[in-house]
Amino acid sequence: MEHLKMLPIEHYIFLSTILFCIGVAGVLLRRNAIIILMSVELMLNAVNLLLAAFSVFHGDAAGQVFVFFIMIVAAAEVAVGLAILMVIYRNNHSTDIDLLSKLKW
Amino acid sequence: MTNLVFLVPLLPLIGFLLNGLLNNKISKNLAAAIGVLSVAGSFAIAAGIFLQSFHESSASHTIQYCTWLKAGSLTIPFEFLVDHLSMLFMLIITGVGLLIHIYSAGYMHDDDGFNRFFAYLNLFMFSMLMLVLGANYVMMFVGWEGVGLCSYLLIGFWYKNQEYNSAAKKAFIMNRIGDLGFLAGMFLMFSHFGSLSFAEVFEKAKAFSTNDTAIVGITLLLFIGACGKSAQIPLFTWLPDAMAGPTPVSALIHAATMVTAGIYMIARSNVLYTLAPTTLKVILVVGVFTALLGSFIALTQKDIKKVLAYSTVSQLGYMFIALGLGNYNAAVFHVMTHAFFKALLFLGAGSVIHAMSGEQDIFKMGGLRKHLPITNITFFIATLAISGFPLLSGFFSKDEIFVAALSYSPLLWLPISILFFLTPFYMFRLYFLTFYGEYRGTQEQMDHLHESPQIMTIPLMILAVLSVVGGWINASLFNIHGLEHFLEPVFRNYTLPFSSEGNEILEYGLAAVSLVVVIYLIWLTNNVFAKKEAENLAEEDMSFLQKLSYNKFYVDELYAFLIQKPLDWISEKTYEFIEVSGIDQIVNGTGSFVGWSSNTLRKLQTGHIGFYLFAMVFGIIMILVLNFII
Amino acid sequence: MTVLVLLSVLGLITLFSGFSSDKKLPIYLGIVGLAVVLGFNFMGWDLAHNAYNMVVADNYSIAFTTIMTFSTIFILFLLPDFSEKVEVPLAEITSLLLFTLFGAYLMVSYSNLVMLFIGIEILSISLYILAGSKKSNTASNEAAMKYFLMGSFATGFLLFGITLIYGATGSFDLGTIKTFVTDHAADTSTLLLVGVILMLIGLAFKISAAPFHFWAPDVYQGSPSLVTGFMATVVKTAGIAAFFKLFYTCFIPLADSWRTTIWVMAALTMTIGNITALYQTTFKRMLAYSSIAHAGYLLLALLALNNLSATAILYYATAYSLATIASFAVLITVHQAKQSHSLDSFKGLAKNNPFLAVMATIALCSLAGIPPLAGFFAKFYLFSAVIKEHFYWIVVIAVLNSCVGIFYYFRIIVNMFSPTAEQETIEVSSLYKMVIFVCIILSLVLGLLPDLILRCNL
Repeated sequence: MEHLKMLPIEHYIFLSTILFCIGVAGVLLRRNAIIILMSVELMLNAVNLLLAAFSVFHGDAAGQVFVFFIMIVAAAEVAVGLAILMVIYRNNHSTDIDLLSKLKW
Repeated sequence: MTNLVFLVPLLPLIGFLLNGLLNNKISKNLAAAIGVLSVAGSFAIAAGIFLQSFHESSASHTIQYCTWLKAGSLTIPFEFLVDHLSMLFMLIITGVGLLIHIYSAGYMHDDDGFNRFFAYLNLFMFSMLMLVLGANYVMMFVGWEGVGLCSYLLIGFWYKNQEYNSAAKKAFIMNRIGDLGFLAGMFLMFSHFGSLSFAEVFEKAKAFSTNDTAIVGITLLLFIGACGKSAQIPLFTWLPDAMAGPTPVSALIHAATMVTAGIYMIARSNVLYTLAPTTLKVILVVGVFTALLGSFIALTQKDIKKVLAYSTVSQLGYMFIALGLGNYNAAVFHVMTHAFFKALLFLGAGSVIHAMSGEQDIFKMGGLRKHLPITNITFFIATLAISGFPLLSGFFSKDEIFVAALSYSPLLWLPISILFFLTPFYMFRLYFLTFYGEYRGTQEQMDHLHESPQIMTIPLMILAVLSVVGGWINASLFNIHGLEHFLEPVFRNYTLPFSSEGNEILEYGLAAVSLVVVIYLIWLTNNVFAKKEAENLAEEDMSFLQKLSYNKFYVDELYAFLIQKPLDWISEKTYEFIEVSGIDQIVNGTGSFVGWSSNTLRKLQTGHIGFYLFAMVFGIIMILVLNFII
Repeated sequence: MTVLVLLSVLGLITLFSGFSSDKKLPIYLGIVGLAVVLGFNFMGWDLAHNAYNMVVADNYSIAFTTIMTFSTIFILFLLPDFSEKVEVPLAEITSLLLFTLFGAYLMVSYSNLVMLFIGIEILSISLYILAGSKKSNTASNEAAMKYFLMGSFATGFLLFGITLIYGATGSFDLGTIKTFVTDHAADTSTLLLVGVILMLIGLAFKISAAPFHFWAPDVYQGSPSLVTGFMATVVKTAGIAAFFKLFYTCFIPLADSWRTTIWVMAALTMTIGNITALYQTTFKRMLAYSSIAHAGYLLLALLALNNLSATAILYYATAYSLATIASFAVLITVHQAKQSHSLDSFKGLAKNNPFLAVMATIALCSLAGIPPLAGFFAKFYLFSAVIKEHFYWIVVIAVLNSCVGIFYYFRIIVNMFSPTAEQETIEVSSLYKMVIFVCIILSLVLGLLPDLILRCNL
């Protein structure tokens, strides 16, 4: 594990932040629900990476355990999300989120 | 027994909830049963507490249930004060209330709103009991407002009649003016004593000197509240109009109980009032003038209930005279006897009105004694009692007030002797016009004439018995001081020194004089109003004084001129200059601005997730930028 | 801990009781089970049982879980006669509601950020399904999708915040974080501050505080009404309780760096919620905006952060939940009769069904904050807690907003009591009647005896 510490922690923070921002940008810019879902996953993975880095940095296992929790929760979330998407696809025959704008004002 | 006291107000409340919620779903008989039984239960418990009090060493219990309100240094517990004063009032309220509930079951029987009526009556009982049981001014005020509300609801009970509605409104507004005084008094009290509970306030009051400005201010403000509730000058004009309500209501609320709330409040605050002789003088003067004015107006009224209403105003004036003299005993004593005979008079009047198919003009009655024997006898007894015929209840209580007044100052001789004549005069005028002489009503009414059913006459008889013997519990003429001793724990040290020893001659004199006066007036009124054909003067033919009295001293018109007109003028001008050209513009402007912004903000909710996400990220960026970069 | 196990087992039992031929069995099982859970929950009062430094059952969590459980019981009572077409078996709806409640339990009893995250996720994932439970209804689909996308997006920020806090303090444990923050109050790293702000954002999303409130009106409108009622009460209560607990225990020393944010957020939330509610034409959407506005008032407690705040939130959440459940029960009943959520469908309700009209009036008055109802004292205590900390302007804004609130609540009351030509009877099922009545009575009782809750020692 020691060789992981060769890089200063700031590098990990910057990398994760950039990954996170790419995820955010993906959510904002894409209109396909599946791609948005993938972008959210990217955000979560950026967090996972950072958690693992901090975990090593602090020499504390809790961070890495938390990564597993996040992965499981993310899997559950994606399962539910895809199910919702399926239902919508059956009714709309599209995964474009811009079609979902009947509820407004 | 004392720990059951919570049931006393609770039972009528349950009755109210049952009758109010089930309203038209239950039969009239069941509604009446609920109403009567709940009050009967209260009465039984009140009586139990009363009887038990003779075996107890401590005369006063404060029962605290929980903290009711807490805001800063103000803590208002939900607590009941059971002492001899509240016990006595509890007995009067539940006892007379029970009789009137029974009577109402007969009187209101054909009314569509029967169940609603009982719901309101029970709500009234609840509020009134809260008023007398509350152990702090806030709880008293809650009851105070509650009875005001019930009075409003019951005056306007026949809400389809617009005139009745305005009478209800008038009563409510006049009461609100008084309530404002009460409320301001409470605020002032809190700022000086830091508490609103009786025990604490009275304890702390001992540190104040006599006629301390704070105490005088508080007592005067509270007195304004009492003026409103107990119909004293200048806030009395609502009471006669309140007669629009059903007659049992007039008996219960506007004669026996609610209107005496002011007297209860002042008697309860005796510690404060004794410290403020200035206020007592004001009360005395107001009481004297109200008593006189009420009697004068009662002389010429044609409506049977109006006569009784003005007589109530005048009798309440007596009680305030007693309070003003610092003789709280006499005031409470008169509250009690008055509850008996005035309730009886009203119920008798109700019986007459019932028999006459709703007619209230005494000039259209006459000769009813043959048709309504029981009502006639009981009404006669009540008339004797209120006139102060020796040995009846009214005699003893009035006697006590008069003796106190006469020995207080010779200045009171004149008004007292006028009152001495007026009360029997207007009462016997009423009595003879109604029950003697020729029948002056229509044939149709004649055919309907009947004595009321037993459910109405039995309460009359019970009240008649009470009107006869009720005074003997404190017949100072015969050295019986039952009530005085009973109330001693409450008024101890605070009743102004007054010895009855030196006044024996005065007492016997008064008794003799009242005997002569009443008999003389019976003879006189009998001659004028029964033997001769009663003449129903048209207003043009009246003398100046008669006119003055008949038109109730033009007090309503005076208020209209002094208050309503200027207010109208001011409000018209303010309306034109400030309202229309100023506030309206601002208000409408604000309104349309809010409406406009609502419509604009609404559009922000576009329905597109994309936009929502953007807005969210924008928000996040703004927060981060504002927090960390600037 | 026992309570959590019981609750999750209860969720499973109700799920599998769906195999029974009695379709309503799961609901009754759920109600009985929740009553048992309540009992166990209450036995922990004053014990502050701590399970492995992960969850702690102190009085704060017991008080909040109790009112949330009561709200859930009320909602379950409304479920058997719920008339909207939900294409998910009742057993699944019941167990999802119970799992959501489980998440809410975790959210108020966590003592470790991991538990907070898991609580939020259990709550949210169950809710995504509940929101979309009218499968063939496009509005319900849309609500579920919007809620899901925005919810998981917000989770990302919450997690990033947790991670940064972990990075700065080296622990997820509230106690450790608190000690760290107190020790380093003078020289806080930017890492920690950004983490706190990001967590604030994630939690603000959950309670639908502006500018993260956009999901709320659409999701509330599209979801089945009963689920909306559940979201507006249980979920909102859990959100604000979790929010308050985190900031009250850990981040008071850093208050200077986030108080302004909360201030602006609270002001924005109540203003946007109240003002937008004015122009709504359907009752359901109006209640959604009103719930946003109430979130704004609740945020005031985070501004005050004194010893009065916790009880003030508890009282407010109770009063608000009671009135909201009653309003939703009325809404569902009226919708069933008129097939419309529009404000016009309330016209003449007073004549057609006086009971419903009176109850709805009291509920709305409580929401508007008219004395002597619970809603008034709720606002009163919340505002006085803030005034005690000398935040005057925000209270002025809140009071002005309450006035706007009165306007739109009373518009419905006026509608109900205005005459209509139509004479039709509106059937109210006895369960609905009972729930409405109990909620209203409790609102009155709490209004008259606020001390019942305020004396809770949190």
